[in-house]
Amino acid sequence: MDASNAKVALNGVINVYSLGGVWTQIQASQNAWLKHNSNQTLTFDASQVSFFDGAGVAFLIGLEEAQQKAGGKFNLVGLDPRYQPLLKEFDPINNLFPVPAIKPKRSFIVSTGMAAQNLIDDAKGLISFTGHLALDLFWSLRHPGQVRWGDFVNTAVEAGIAALPIVGLVSFLIGVILSFQAAIGMAQFGAVSFVGPLAALGIVREMGPLITAILLAGRSSAAFAAEIGTMTVNSEVDALVSGGLSPMRFLVVPRVLAGILVAPILTLFADIVSVIASMLTMQIYGIPFINFYNGMLAAVNVEDIGSGLIKATLFGVVVSAMGCLRGMQTGTGAAAVGISATRAVVSSIVMIVVVDGIFAFISYKTGF
Amino acid sequence: MTDLTNSTYAIDVQNLTVGYGSNVLMQNLNFTVNNGEIFIILGGSGCGKSSLLKNLFGLYQPLGGDVLIEGQNITTAQGAERQKIMTSFGVMYQQGALFGSMNLLDNVTLFMEEYTDLTQDQMDLLARCKLDLVGLLPYESYMPSEISGGMQKRAAIARAMALDPKILFLDEPSAGLDPITSADLDSTIQDLSKNLGITFVIVSHELASIYAIADKVIMLDKDAKGIIAEGDPKVLRDTSQDPRVHQFFNRIMSKDAA
Repeated sequence: MDASNAKVALNGVINVYSLGGVWTQIQASQNAWLKHNSNQTLTFDASQVSFFDGAGVAFLIGLEEAQQKAGGKFNLVGLDPRYQPLLKEFDPINNLFPVPAIKPKRSFIVSTGMAAQNLIDDAKGLISFTGHLALDLFWSLRHPGQVRWGDFVNTAVEAGIAALPIVGLVSFLIGVILSFQAAIGMAQFGAVSFVGPLAALGIVREMGPLITAILLAGRSSAAFAAEIGTMTVNSEVDALVSGGLSPMRFLVVPRVLAGILVAPILTLFADIVSVIASMLTMQIYGIPFINFYNGMLAAVNVEDIGSGLIKATLFGVVVSAMGCLRGMQTGTGAAAVGISATRAVVSSIVMIVVVDGIFAFISYKTGF
Repeated sequence: MTDLTNSTYAIDVQNLTVGYGSNVLMQNLNFTVNNGEIFIILGGSGCGKSSLLKNLFGLYQPLGGDVLIEGQNITTAQGAERQKIMTSFGVMYQQGALFGSMNLLDNVTLFMEEYTDLTQDQMDLLARCKLDLVGLLPYESYMPSEISGGMQKRAAIARAMALDPKILFLDEPSAGLDPITSADLDSTIQDLSKNLGITFVIVSHELASIYAIADKVIMLDKDAKGIIAEGDPKVLRDTSQDPRVHQFFNRIMSKDAA
């Protein structure tokens, strides 16, 4: 390169692999040269080039653009004529160098407002979904023949029977841990014999329904959201709507009904496993089964079990409904399905806590 | 024309059997694709064109036989050798199969990031060239979900060309495109084939496009489980005695054929 005229020559194969590094070197020396010789001509000699492809074209365009920007000229010599039409494809080259768009920054007030708006929209969606669901559940009571019982059975098997091992395992461990923790404290007061009634009451009223609901949220709510979400992405939900079928009745009702059936049954199972685990644990502290049993009968009555099962039923509704709602709200693309599944689990757990709180308040006020 | 490959054929298919498990779609296929040729696979819906294509570029393992890509056997290649063969061609899937979490420009640069030493600016410029070739330059920052199905296909072609492969496999590139875009695409394919010597293996139903660009076609048939016609499409249209071939090229309804 000299002051008035610079020449670049490459030989051999120019493709996307061979340009790596070379391109950067040439660019750097071109820029350094252009600083002092802005109006000059850069010549590229391609007579020794044996192969040239789309990457080579982009490379030449890059050189030419840098020259143009600096007010200089670019001259290409020796390129095999069969490659010429390729270069013509990109005329004028300026289109390939768009001015980067500057994204306007959102002010704090605007983003707060938008976040609030999102919350309001979400709440509106939840309320209208609840209303629709209530109507459609009522409809299913009046037209039981039109409910898709096949889907209901499949979902109930998948969410219920298939969940037995994990529910059993977790509730067994919770029963053991609960009893051990309680026994350590109670032993200081010589009240180990009260651990049985305490643990059994806690399990039946609170832990059983809660464990089951959280496991259902993790397993089935996420599954509903992913399944319905994928259907939304693939326009299958649109196909239902345009075919005159209600996605609520077709997809949501069978799943929520399955949730209503499965949640109390799983809870009852969790209660039994947990109590047995507690019984076995108390054996270690020298409490015989019969003492545990009698203590439990004195402390736990049918109302307590009923209260736990009613709560579990509500959890079942909430968990399956949240999964379906998040599935229906899925955006587009594979990532959206993942987001929906995550949101389904998070919202389910939040709703479980909310329902549990309301239920605790009611039972405190009514003594049920 | 400078021929960089030392093999006679871009693709050499030997006794290939295509199918899934016990369901055999095609038996003992033998054909070759020359370097720089535009080779089109024809056949009725469901006869296994896309499956054949996926066997050719090694996505599925054939039930039998071999596929040589530039002289290298893709059906037996493993590890680094296989990787090398895989980067020598580009694939456009029927549905586009763009990565939904990336905009169009990033979709095209993804493979360059993995396989080359180019800087981001250089890759962006290269990717813009590819998008310009398929007429999508103004949409570089769009997400795949924000553009139409036809545009997604074109973006997928741009992505397939990212590394300037010597062979491009296109699964129904012009289906769903308007006639003008389709003609533009045909002319791009011809330019690339003529000027860069890129070999195209295309599954297509578009008769107009087939006549315009194909150097050679093979026609598959579901019942024959093999190739029923091979050659220049115009010649086949005018001279073939096979009623199935005649029917296809002349768009005759099946109930009128007999």
